[in-house]
Amino acid sequence: MNRKTKRRVTGVIRFIVLAFYFLLVVLPIYWMIVTSFKTNAEIINAQLITYWPHTFTLDNYKGLFSTIHYGTYLKNSLIVTLSTSVVVTILSIYGGYGLARFSFKGKGAAMVFFLITQMIPSILVIIPLYVVFAKMKLIDTYASLFIFYTVTNLPFCAITMRSFFERIPYALEEAAAIDGCSRAQTLWKVVLPVMFSGIVAVFVFAFIGAWNELIAGTIFLNSQKMWTIPIGLKSLVGKYNVDWGSMMAGGCLALLPTAIMFIFVQKYIVEGMTAGAVKG
Amino acid sequence: MSSKKSGSKLSLQTRRKLQPYFYIAPVMILLLLMFGYPLIKSIIMSFQDYKLSRLDKVSWNNFKNYAAMFSDKNFGLLLKNSLLYVISAVLAQFLLGLGLALTLNGKFKGRGIYQSIVFLPWAFSAFVVGLLFRWSFNGEYGVVNDVLKKLGLIDTGISWLGTPGLSLLVVIFAMIWIGIPFFGINILAALQSVPSDIYEAADMDGCGTIRKFFTLTLPYIKPTIIMTILLRTIWIFNSFDLVVIITEGGPANYSQTLPSYMYTQAFASYDFGLAGAFGVLLMVILTLYALIFLRITKYDKAGDF
Amino acid sequence: MKRKVLSLLLVAAMTATMLTGCGGKDSASDSGSAGDSGNAGTEAPAEGGDLTLTFLDVAPSDTRTTYYESMFQKFYEETGIQVEYQSVPWDDAADKLTVLGAANNLPDVMTTWNGWLGQFTQSGWVIPLDDYIGDTTSDYTDAVVNILFKSEQTRYGHIYTIPDGLMVKGIYVRKDWCEEAGIKLDPTKPWTYDDYFELIEKLTDPEKGRYGASYRGARGALDPLWVYLQGYTGGATFNQEGQILMNNEECLEAFVKWTDIYKNGGAPQDAINWGFTEMVDNFAGGLTGTLINDSEVAATLINSMEDSQWMVMPMPTSEKDGIIYNTINAPYAYSISGNSQNPDASWKLIEFLTSAENQAEYCQLTGEIPIKNEASGLDYYGEDGYYGVFLQQMNDPTLAVPTSFGTFDFTDLHQGLFHEEIQSYLLGDESAADALGNICTALQERMDEYMAENPDAGIETALTMN
Repeated sequence: MNRKTKRRVTGVIRFIVLAFYFLLVVLPIYWMIVTSFKTNAEIINAQLITYWPHTFTLDNYKGLFSTIHYGTYLKNSLIVTLSTSVVVTILSIYGGYGLARFSFKGKGAAMVFFLITQMIPSILVIIPLYVVFAKMKLIDTYASLFIFYTVTNLPFCAITMRSFFERIPYALEEAAAIDGCSRAQTLWKVVLPVMFSGIVAVFVFAFIGAWNELIAGTIFLNSQKMWTIPIGLKSLVGKYNVDWGSMMAGGCLALLPTAIMFIFVQKYIVEGMTAGAVKG
Repeated sequence: MSSKKSGSKLSLQTRRKLQPYFYIAPVMILLLLMFGYPLIKSIIMSFQDYKLSRLDKVSWNNFKNYAAMFSDKNFGLLLKNSLLYVISAVLAQFLLGLGLALTLNGKFKGRGIYQSIVFLPWAFSAFVVGLLFRWSFNGEYGVVNDVLKKLGLIDTGISWLGTPGLSLLVVIFAMIWIGIPFFGINILAALQSVPSDIYEAADMDGCGTIRKFFTLTLPYIKPTIIMTILLRTIWIFNSFDLVVIITEGGPANYSQTLPSYMYTQAFASYDFGLAGAFGVLLMVILTLYALIFLRITKYDKAGDF
Repeated sequence: MKRKVLSLLLVAAMTATMLTGCGGKDSASDSGSAGDSGNAGTEAPAEGGDLTLTFLDVAPSDTRTTYYESMFQKFYEETGIQVEYQSVPWDDAADKLTVLGAANNLPDVMTTWNGWLGQFTQSGWVIPLDDYIGDTTSDYTDAVVNILFKSEQTRYGHIYTIPDGLMVKGIYVRKDWCEEAGIKLDPTKPWTYDDYFELIEKLTDPEKGRYGASYRGARGALDPLWVYLQGYTGGATFNQEGQILMNNEECLEAFVKWTDIYKNGGAPQDAINWGFTEMVDNFAGGLTGTLINDSEVAATLINSMEDSQWMVMPMPTSEKDGIIYNTINAPYAYSISGNSQNPDASWKLIEFLTSAENQAEYCQLTGEIPIKNEASGLDYYGEDGYYGVFLQQMNDPTLAVPTSFGTFDFTDLHQGLFHEEIQSYLLGDESAADALGNICTALQERMDEYMAENPDAGIETALTMN
């Protein structure tokens, strides 16, 4: 096989693989989007499944804003999620740095504890926490979700951040130390810019973790004006039926912020880090 | 500032020793505050007669909850389903995620937008995905059967959610779908940090692609893979939302897993002592798994654990 | 560039934290009522002042939220008592109330579904309303007094809820399919279960993608089947000695006949795992020809189907005694929580919401049947509308309301064993005798335990309107 045919074969294989993943991901999403533009009667019609809306309608989207206060939920979700992900990112920078750069007594235990926090079934955490939050008058506040989401996302984000730090050569810091920077200064001025992409990745992890959380939301929040998007969507499931059209429309809108974020940050997630590692 | 004097009393060595704790402290304190109490409380509850409806009559009952748990006639089935669920979902996510990362780890036109799209499932809430799958896999008006029929692969609709085995499979499908990007992103990030000079050396030695992958790439990204598999296993093993939304464990518990059973039973019977016992069992299984997994994969040598 | 983004992140962090702080303060001040236990009761004046009640709705929808908010405004104008409206999606309502109850943090007034009352009364999360109702029972319709109130009294010893409205069950039928098949149905005439089974068979035509019944296979599968079986036991589950009545040949035969709907293909194979959503969707979507469900479902069908497509039949009569056994329930009844510091004001709110005038408005919105005599005299639905058949059933002297599964708490059985046993039989994992036998054994065990604990407790019997 000469080089040219070899390259062509690899190209074809790559195309097939890319197409496979694309279809795998896009087909369910396509179904969701198409459904969101259908009328209810068309959606539940068992005799005829349509792959393109017969009667194209925007009612599902209009309904979201006029009857279920989607705008309010969006605002709440953004407030809770953004504050959570920023704080989680900052805390995991410190925690991750500590884990990556020092060896100290109890480090193994700390890592084990991180893992254990991930193993406790959520309902066994939420009920005692509810009692504590109620005593602190935190029920029905953004703070309750902010605290809960921060804590639940921290362990994973700190572990991830640690592995990012570990990929950065220590020589980089030593050079800075020679220049007279303190350790904290070095962290902020020298190390962080290099691992910018890692930070972005952790931010996105925390964002998505908080954005989609449902159970704590329904338990900790009481008033509709505090609800986040997942709770709003859940309220479309009634005793007797699911409002499929609105559900799919709401699902699409819930996805929009994260989708936009992906478009902007995906290159940092995958490219930035390489640059950092190689430069160092 | 004011403590400058007393601070200087600490020898430089002590300060250096304490330094790491300053970095870890904020995270650890937060976690201990929030998880410490529920963790201890769950363990205590698991040895108690702890009914939400009789909170005034909580009393120790030794191992009664554990006895009830192990003698539950569904226990064997639940354990089997849980293992099947977690093993197949993690394995498929890992392999497909690795494939995705390897494909993306190269330049091609439109990679940016392609990447944003294939990462999307990860941004979905389990609840929406669960509903979407439950509805798409409906035996009669579900789109999956319709597509399969149109492609000529089947003649009559498959009753996905009504057949033992298949209903769990749909839950596994949904879980895989959500989880591929997570593996993809993590592995891709690790791949990108593999220094290119090691490949150059290998090229000169005339290594084939496959050999290069196994001898150079894989060892380099191993720590990431181990950590991702470990965490993902813990999450999937503990997750119950997809089961509850897609099948409610049915038919006849054929798609029920330990956590989903615990969740349903806890709220149906108000017996949080029993729920605590299930919780402790889940944690024990996962801790054992984590220890064995880390030992087998020699993670402590790859990174320092 | 990178540094810029980093600093942007920091700014975002600070803004977000500030917002969080503000949000926290805001809502802490208006959600405190349940939290500051003790002082609310002594400080708050019975009338007016700054008393704020909390009200939790378990089935929020645009219509309901608007209704309640306008009612609370009116209530405030009349009494000076403010009501804070809270809600939780229906699907998570039971779980949320459980957490609130365990934490002693329930709202003052909440809407509850009768399926939860076993747990709630046992836990003391709702309080008896008998004293509040006092001698006003004559204001309520016969159905409320002789059936709902009475059954709560036998089951739990007291009346714990005031219905928000009433619903009964009926069988929704595809009118157009029947016409095509030349079947004539007369909703004003009684029909038997055998007639119903025959109808299912006639409407089934898998070639055309048509099935006779929206068979309920998942959670709740035993509910309609149990009512059918109670047609052979005079509407009871236990006899006066506390022995279960369903473990005999007659009931086993009925059990088999009912499950044959599924086994003989009267419902799609999938139906073994159908809940309410699939049942209703499939009827409205044109897959199934009949649907047993509450009158509340009519509202959904009006929205998604043409008038010419569907009709309502009354529940069939028992083969044995010719009586219609049908359940009458309140979809979301009002109750006062055990931890409410203001039960008197809470009662005032319930009284206000269920006053003839306000209740009539509510029932018109939700399609429920009014609970007060004054309101039920008003003719909202007409005789021949969809609700005509439901009203006609409620006025039928041969209608009887069968007992529940028992006076004990059976929530966990209802969410597990009941439908799992039936599913096991449908899958061929066990025989019909075993499935029904296991259900009976589980119920008998509960009953024995309950009778040992409460030797004086009465045994439920079927109730009639008079």
